[in-house]
Amino acid sequence: MSTLRYAFFPGCTLESAANELKVSTEITCKKLGIELVEIEGWTCCGASQVQDVDDFFGLLVNARNIALAESQGFDQIMTVCNTCTLMLRTAKSRIDADPALKDKVNDALAEIGLEYKGTAEITHYLWALVRDYGLDRLKEQVKVDLSNLHVANYYGCHILMPPKIMGFENDRNPQSMEMVMKALGAVSVDYEQRLACCGFHAIYPAEKEAETGNAVSLAVAKEAGADCVVTPCPLCHFSLDMWQKDSQEYIDTDITIPVLHLPQVVGLALGFSPKELAINHHVVSAMPLMKSLGLK
Amino acid sequence: MDTITFNVRRFDGEDAWNQEYSFKRQTITLLGALNMIREELDDSLCFTQACRHSICGSCAITVNGSAYLACETQLDELIDTFQTNYFYLAPLNNFPVVRDLVVSFDEKAEKMSKVMPWMCPHEGRHDHKQSEADHQKYQQATDCVMCGCCASGCSELRYSNDNYLEPFIMNKAYRFIRDSRDEKGEDRVKIILENDLWKCLHCNQCATKCPKGIPVSSEISYMRRMALRMGEDKSMGARHAYCFRDDLIKTGILNEAMLAVKTEGIVKCAANRIPFTMRMVLSGKMNPLHVMLQKPVKGIDGVRKLYEISQKMDKED
Repeated sequence: MSTLRYAFFPGCTLESAANELKVSTEITCKKLGIELVEIEGWTCCGASQVQDVDDFFGLLVNARNIALAESQGFDQIMTVCNTCTLMLRTAKSRIDADPALKDKVNDALAEIGLEYKGTAEITHYLWALVRDYGLDRLKEQVKVDLSNLHVANYYGCHILMPPKIMGFENDRNPQSMEMVMKALGAVSVDYEQRLACCGFHAIYPAEKEAETGNAVSLAVAKEAGADCVVTPCPLCHFSLDMWQKDSQEYIDTDITIPVLHLPQVVGLALGFSPKELAINHHVVSAMPLMKSLGLK
Repeated sequence: MDTITFNVRRFDGEDAWNQEYSFKRQTITLLGALNMIREELDDSLCFTQACRHSICGSCAITVNGSAYLACETQLDELIDTFQTNYFYLAPLNNFPVVRDLVVSFDEKAEKMSKVMPWMCPHEGRHDHKQSEADHQKYQQATDCVMCGCCASGCSELRYSNDNYLEPFIMNKAYRFIRDSRDEKGEDRVKIILENDLWKCLHCNQCATKCPKGIPVSSEISYMRRMALRMGEDKSMGARHAYCFRDDLIKTGILNEAMLAVKTEGIVKCAANRIPFTMRMVLSGKMNPLHVMLQKPVKGIDGVRKLYEISQKMDKED
């Protein structure tokens, strides 16, 4: 089987608040034989904000990001953030559908010595595991029994919607997270909020609404028997972990629950220690859970 | 999967309960199945309907929490999506329930009047000819049948007060804002701004659940840009959005450590965010030095050049 090779688009959070996601993505991919090469010169995708200020500039920066990967010899770009995936795929979808827009974008990129060809596809770590790597193959790599780990999968909006641009699976009833957890041997709990919105993109102007929603999501996940929440998105992680104490203000029941990144759970199953996966770097400590699972 | 069961949320004005109805699987729409239940199993079941071909917008309900226009949804599609023969049917979310699956639009209609959902023609202008290009600017927005699917999915409405406008109301405003024959575009943007325009959470539920595929979230984005062009750039949401553009030009990477300060202002941020910041620093998630040491990405001059080029492009109207 040929080696999987991707241009890696880390996104801003991996450079600071979610460094543990970068660590866990890189070591799990290495272990699985997936080659990641960070795109040289990548910039912020605009985080679903830049289009509210300057739509065309937002399109250009993402055309540049894709063009950089293409010029560095890649036809696949992998992200680990729902919103980065959405922003890059939105740019690609708009440019590929409109030859006049493509010309306009390429006129601008030509000024900085780049060309958007449209040859690179954009995928997410979760999709790459399911579609490119394969769940049977993933299952064969599992070294540690996680059958006592009950996870609440939290998809996040931007890995699903809008489906015209994302389109990997049905946005009303996605199953990829459950399928990956099953392959890893962990148990997914069913809970009503698994497709809820974390409110990250308006957490300052809509703090009450976002945090109330997160309080409900975490309370329901706990009630359903989850030991932790697992998400494929560092922005959902940001809202659910780092703002968890703020969300607690909006609900009476105790919502304390650790939140893990998807690659961290993959890493545990592959036999990495919690520290190797930087699981000790969450605001809501996941270390007591690791201890109870016998993972050192 | 020969037998299909609908577990329906019932409400008689006082009491609420769930009731199961089972029937043989067949090729039928969701609305067809509801009519069959009412005709053959329970004539007390209430739901609304009229045209039966997705024009009147009156038959939207939720299935397993997700909004559907019942007349255009095939039972087979539901089975395929949810991989089950057992479905939970309930009224739309974020609406007051009248009875069973019937919701009230009265308050929403009242709220819609805020954005002047009618044509305000240019005063003194008698010729209202419109070019094809101008027509295209709002044409898709006119497809809205006001079924309420967008509002049912809206993540902001779920926990907001009554101020925030339903996505279909935003769409209605947008429809007139983009119409060259109308002169009250800026007035409408100001009204939407006062009604928490920047609180949209960007979840994309509205655009995704719309049976007509109207890109409401992109319309909201347009109205935000228009508000900024009008000089309405002091709100937290506006300052937050500017941070991303400014950091793109400055270093190419977002400076997370400064985001809260720039969004909320130093006074509010200092008052609100010290415990948050301490948690971040203690768990190794924020390095205070990062604020000072962030270096521009390789090729930052190219990013700045792209910004210059974008500023010379034709401005959107």
